[in-house]
Amino acid sequence: MNNLDLREKLIEELYAKELFKINLFGWEIPVTDTVVVMWIVMAFLILFAFFLTRNLKPVPKGKQNLAEVIVGFFNSFSREVIGHHWRPFAPYIGTVALFLAFANTISLFNFLPGGEFLYRLTGLDFLRHLPENLLKPPTRDINVPVSLAVLSMVVCIMGGLGIKKPGPWLRSFFEPSIMLFPFKVLDYLIRPTSLSLRLFGNVLGAFIVMELLYLTIPAFLPAPLSIYFDIFDGLLQAYIFVFLSLFYMAEAVE
Amino acid sequence: MSTGGIIALAAAIYVIVGSGAAIGISIATGKAAEATGRQPEAADKIRSVTLLGCALAEATAIYGFVIALILLLIYKA
Repeated sequence: MNNLDLREKLIEELYAKELFKINLFGWEIPVTDTVVVMWIVMAFLILFAFFLTRNLKPVPKGKQNLAEVIVGFFNSFSREVIGHHWRPFAPYIGTVALFLAFANTISLFNFLPGGEFLYRLTGLDFLRHLPENLLKPPTRDINVPVSLAVLSMVVCIMGGLGIKKPGPWLRSFFEPSIMLFPFKVLDYLIRPTSLSLRLFGNVLGAFIVMELLYLTIPAFLPAPLSIYFDIFDGLLQAYIFVFLSLFYMAEAVE
Repeated sequence: MSTGGIIALAAAIYVIVGSGAAIGISIATGKAAEATGRQPEAADKIRSVTLLGCALAEATAIYGFVIALILLLIYKA
């Protein structure tokens, strides 16, 4: 395998591929594989939450214990950082954290069969469009981290407006001195940039390293390194993303 | 030197930006280890502060990496 071949293969893995188009009132909406992977993660999380929260009882038993541990973890996490006004932010934080945790580590599940196999198994025609090795982290596409970061900043602003009330919130831009006003406005542009680029760069870097390994040394070596690059790095970045979002929200409502 | 060579060189120089983040993160982690040794009961708070500092310091390295990647992938020689 020469260098050019490797480069071409790597670039083909990097970009989000367009799988099919949805026709919505004459608008052709292209659907890339990252969107399909996000649908898979969403479907899994929704079914998981639905399954865990059937038949809730005052005294928890079995699967309800797991649900309470997860919810309690995010509640105490946001209470620790934000303090008094933690309640409205905890659901958002938990959702983003669970989504990112699954989205960043989803390449672990690539042993599942590809579209051709599913087509032969079920006979459903649309399954044939799914390529092999579909489950690559959707956060390697810059659109996903940017939208999550913008969403976090919107939650910050809404939290500031709702909890502090608009007047004091606007006044906080001029405290402690009017000189700081441009910097406080710049904060709202720089923070989403750094939030999204951090997540995007880390996931993409880990993804490139793993793809290079798979292309050059496919035996034995990827297994231990996958523990670091896929599991540890993915979970750490999910944690850091929600921690920094919480930190910004705490600053907005304090 | 060809255009591709200069672009590759520029990308390599951008990746050197990561060394600054490495120094910053290692100093922060060293201090955190020191602080944990001095006050083991505050380990949880120290851990979250260290993670925050490391995440902020790491951003510079990520900017370098992203710009190097943009150079390599967008300006195809």
